[in-house]
Amino acid sequence: MQSASSPVQAVESTSPDLSDANLTLVQLVARNAKQHSTGIAFREKELGLWKEYNWQDYLDNVTCLAAGLESLGFQPGDTLMVMGDNRPKLYCSMIAAGALRGKAMPVYPDAAPDEVLHFCKLSQLRFVIAEDQEQVDKLLDLREEIGTIEHIIYVKPRGMRGYQVPGLVGYDELIERGRQRLDADDQLLDAIINRSRPEDPAIYLHSSGTTGLPKAIVIQNRRILSGVLSAYEGERFRLNEEIIAYLPMAWVGDFALTVAAAIALRFTVNIPEGQETVLRDMREAAPTFYLAAPRSWDNMLTTMQVRMQESTPIKKWLYNFFMGLALEREKRRFNSEEPTVIQKLLKPIGEFMVYGPIKDNFGLSRVKNAFTGGEAMGEDTFLFYRALGIRLMQLYGQTESSAFTSTHQADEIRLHTVGKPLPGVEVKISESGEILVRSNSVFDGYQGNEKATNETLVDGWLHTGDAGYLEEDGHLVVLGRVSEVVYTATGERYIPNYIENRIKFDPIIKDVAVFGRDRDYLTALVCIDLDSVGNWAEQHGVSYISYADLSQKPEVLELVQKALEHVNDVLPEALKIKRFANLHKEFDPDDGEITRTRKLRRKVVEERYQPIIDALYGGHLDVTMRAQVTYDTGESGSIERILAIKDLNR
Amino acid sequence: MFYRQAAIRHTSYDQTKKLYPIPFDKWLVVAVLLVALLAPFAMSGLYLNSYLLPWVIWSTAALSLNLLMGYAGQIHLGYAAVMAIGAYSSVHAMRLGAPFEFALILGGATAMIIGVGFGFTALRVKGLYLAISTLAVQYLVDWVLTHVPAIGGGTQATLQTPTPALLGFEITTDIGRYYLALGWCAVVTIFMLNVKRTGLGRALIAVREKDYAASVLGVNSYYYKLIAFAVSSFFGGVTGAILAFTFFGAVTPEQYSIDISIQILAMVVVGGLGSVLGSFFGAGFILLAPLFLNNMVTGLAEAYDFGVSRSVISHIPLILYGGLIMLFLLFEPLGLAKIYDNIRKYFLVWPFGFSRR
Repeated sequence: MQSASSPVQAVESTSPDLSDANLTLVQLVARNAKQHSTGIAFREKELGLWKEYNWQDYLDNVTCLAAGLESLGFQPGDTLMVMGDNRPKLYCSMIAAGALRGKAMPVYPDAAPDEVLHFCKLSQLRFVIAEDQEQVDKLLDLREEIGTIEHIIYVKPRGMRGYQVPGLVGYDELIERGRQRLDADDQLLDAIINRSRPEDPAIYLHSSGTTGLPKAIVIQNRRILSGVLSAYEGERFRLNEEIIAYLPMAWVGDFALTVAAAIALRFTVNIPEGQETVLRDMREAAPTFYLAAPRSWDNMLTTMQVRMQESTPIKKWLYNFFMGLALEREKRRFNSEEPTVIQKLLKPIGEFMVYGPIKDNFGLSRVKNAFTGGEAMGEDTFLFYRALGIRLMQLYGQTESSAFTSTHQADEIRLHTVGKPLPGVEVKISESGEILVRSNSVFDGYQGNEKATNETLVDGWLHTGDAGYLEEDGHLVVLGRVSEVVYTATGERYIPNYIENRIKFDPIIKDVAVFGRDRDYLTALVCIDLDSVGNWAEQHGVSYISYADLSQKPEVLELVQKALEHVNDVLPEALKIKRFANLHKEFDPDDGEITRTRKLRRKVVEERYQPIIDALYGGHLDVTMRAQVTYDTGESGSIERILAIKDLNR
Repeated sequence: MFYRQAAIRHTSYDQTKKLYPIPFDKWLVVAVLLVALLAPFAMSGLYLNSYLLPWVIWSTAALSLNLLMGYAGQIHLGYAAVMAIGAYSSVHAMRLGAPFEFALILGGATAMIIGVGFGFTALRVKGLYLAISTLAVQYLVDWVLTHVPAIGGGTQATLQTPTPALLGFEITTDIGRYYLALGWCAVVTIFMLNVKRTGLGRALIAVREKDYAASVLGVNSYYYKLIAFAVSSFFGGVTGAILAFTFFGAVTPEQYSIDISIQILAMVVVGGLGSVLGSFFGAGFILLAPLFLNNMVTGLAEAYDFGVSRSVISHIPLILYGGLIMLFLLFEPLGLAKIYDNIRKYFLVWPFGFSRR
C-alpha cells in the first residue's frame, strides 16, 4: 500500500482540529489508515459474531470500490443511490462516490416506490448500490419508469445468481475490478484519494418533507466536517468514541455521526445484525456515545417499565424505591437545589442495586454523552434517564445545517431549552420569531430549487422555519414550526405539534393529531400504543383481539381520557382539548400519515379522517369510519369501523 | 446487580467458548482460589486436617465419579473399590522403591486397567444391571484386600504409607499435604471444566442423553463409555492414593468399603449430576453436614435439658441429616448446583424478573 501524498502528509497531528475541515472525508480515511491502521473502524455483527474492519480495510474498500465505479463510467457530478440498512460496505460506497467527486444519495430502506421515483428523477440517476435482493427487486420494478439507471451494484449475493439483468454487478466483483486497476497503476491510489476537494459534495440528502415533497440537499465535505469538528471543539464528542449505527442512513444525523464524525474523530462504529436486534446488540456494543430520537428513548423506557412490571416483588420494590429517590433528586437539581443528605448517601447504593444494572442491561453503562434530537422529548422521559445517571442532552439541528446547531452542555441542562449554540455557530431570532442560523456548516442551497434556496438562505443566514427565542443566558428555546402556527376560530394562537408532544409523553399514546384550525375548540385523534396498553390490558383482565378492538374498549377510552385531562391541566382554558376519538389503527408511514422519521403529515391526516373530525365537532357519540385498504396482493377492499367519541371533563 | 454483561462480545467462535465470559464469575473463581490457597495460614491444624483437607479430597473423588455418572451417564456403585486399587498399588509401588510421582501415576494406571477390563464386560448391560455389576467390583476388591496377604497385608492389617516426596522434597507438614491434595484437585477440576468444550466431552454428553441416538450420529457409544470408565478410574485411583498419603497415612480395607462408595455416589447426586461446582457442594454437604449437625445438637443438648436420653440425642443428627438430603432432592432434584444456579440467575437478570424473550 503506497502512502497517501501531499495534503495528507501535511497534517500529521493526531488530535483533530478545525483545520481538518480543509480535507475531504476520503483523505481523512487515508490519514487514519496511515496513522492508526489497526484501529477498528467498523464492527458489524454477522451470524452472531462481531466482524471487525480496521481503518486500512476501510480505505481499501473505498479506494477499490472507487476504482471499480470509475471503470463503470462514474463521472464527477454523478449520483449513486444507496439503498439498504446500515452496512459498512454501503458506508464505504458513500465515501467512494464522494472520492470520485460524485454524490451518494441514501434513501430509507422502506421508502415507498413513489418516493424513490421522485428522488431518482430529481437526480438523473445512473448508479445504484443496493443491499440485497429485496432492494434490487424494488428497483427493477421501477427501472423502466426511471429510465436512466445503468448500473445496479448489490452487496449481498444471496438469491441473486439467477438474475439476467444488464448492468447488474456484485459488490465483491466490482472491488476485484478496482483492485486490478489499482495494482496496474501505482498513481491511481493517490489520484483517487486526492481527487475530490473540500467544496465537493459529501452527501446528497432530502429534507423530511413534513410540509410537502422532500427537497434535495447536497452537503459539502467542508460543511459536514466543520459541523462535526465544532461539536468536538464544544466537547460534545470525544476522540475514539464507540457508537452504534442503527439510525436510517438517509437521516442527516446518521451521516454526520457514523460517517463524518466517525472518520474525523476515529470512532468505532458498531453495526447491529438487523433492525430487530438493535436492543440486544446494544448491550454487546455498549456505546460510549448514543444519539437517538425521542421516540427511541421512549421505546426503551417503555421496555424497561414493562419488564420491571413483570419482575419479582422484592426487585420491584427496590426499583420503585431507588428510582423514586433518583427522580426526586433530579427534580431538585433542575430547581437548582442541593440534593438532601439521604439522597446523597443512598446514591451509590442505588447505583449498585438499580441504576447500574438497568444501564448494563440496555448497554448504556459506558455512555458518556447521550443525545436526543429531531423532536421534543417528554419531561418524564428526560428526567428518568438523567435520574439513571445518563447525561442525556438535547440536540437541535437540521439537515440544512449538517445536523449540529446547538446542544446542551454536560452541566447546563434546562428542560425546556436545547442548550447553547455550538462554537462557530451564530443564532439569532428574526422579527417574526423565526430562528436564524449562520455557520460554516450551513449548506449552500437546495439542489435544483432556486426559489426555495432564496427563501431559506438570506445573506448567509439559514431560515430554519422553526419558531423560538433566546433566553438571557444564551439558551435557545424551540417552540415548533413557524408554518404550523394555527389560529382557532376565536383567534387563539397555538402550535399543534407542541400540544401533541405534550400528549405523546404519556407512554400509552403512540401518536396523536390535534385539530382546531378555525374551530371553536380543540379535539384530538389518538393512536394508542399497542405494547403498553396491551400490557395494561393483560394486567387488568381486559381481553381484546386486535389493535382496533383494544382501542375501542371502554376501559381504554377511560385511560386515554385521563391522560388527556392530565395534559389539559397545564393548557390555557381556550386551548383545552374538549373531545377525542381513538383511531382504529396506528399512523403509518406506508399510508403517508407520518414521515419515515414519524412526524405527522397533518394534511393527509385531515383529509383522510375528515368524517371523524366532522363527528368530533358535530356532537355525535360515535362515528362510522370506512377505510379503503390495499392488501399486499394488490387487491383492495374496505373496512368499516365504529369509533367512539368521548368528551373530556376537565 | 453483580453481573455486568455490557460490552461482552465475540469476534470469533473460539471466544464464545470462554469458560467465564462474565467478569464477576471470573473474579469469584479467583477469590475462591485465593481463599483455598491462604486458608491453611488462617485456620488451626485441627480445622485444616479434619474439615478442609477431606473436603478437598472428597470433592476430587466426586469430580472423578461425576465424569462417569454426570457426563457419560454410566452409574458406578463401586467407586471406593477403584480408589482402593489406586491406593494399594501406589503404596506397594513406593514400598518397592518407586518415587512418589511415579507411584501415583502407577496407582492411577492400575485402577484404569482394572476399571477398563471390568468395563469391557460390565458395559454389555445398561442401567440397573450395570449398577448391580459395578456393585460386584466392590465386593471382589473387598474380598481380595482381606484375603490376599500379598496385597492387603493379611487379615486386619494396616499398611503404613511411606512419606511422600514431590520432586525430591519430602512432604511432612499438614500444610504441605493440604497443598498436595489441592494441587491434584485443581488438575482434575481444570480437566473437568474443559472437557465439556472438547469433542470428547460432547461425545460423552451425547452418549449420556441416549446412547443409541449417539450411535446414529456416528458416535461410537461403547468406545466412549470405555473412555469414560478409563479416565474416571484413573482419576479415582490417583485420588484414592492421595487420600491414603495425605489424610489417613495408612491403608486398610475399611477405608474403601461399600459405605464409602455410597457416600461418593450421594455427593455426586446431591451436588448435581454433571456439575463441577456441584461436586464441591455435594462433597461439602455429605462430609461436613453430619459434623456440624452433631456439634449443633450436642451443643444444644448441653445448653438446654431436653429430658431425653443421650442415646436418643446421638441419633437426632442422623435423622436431621437424612431429612435434609430428602428435602434437597424434593426441593431441587437437580442438586445443590442447581440451587446455586437459580440464585445466580436471580441476580443475572437483576433487576428484571427474567431474561428477554
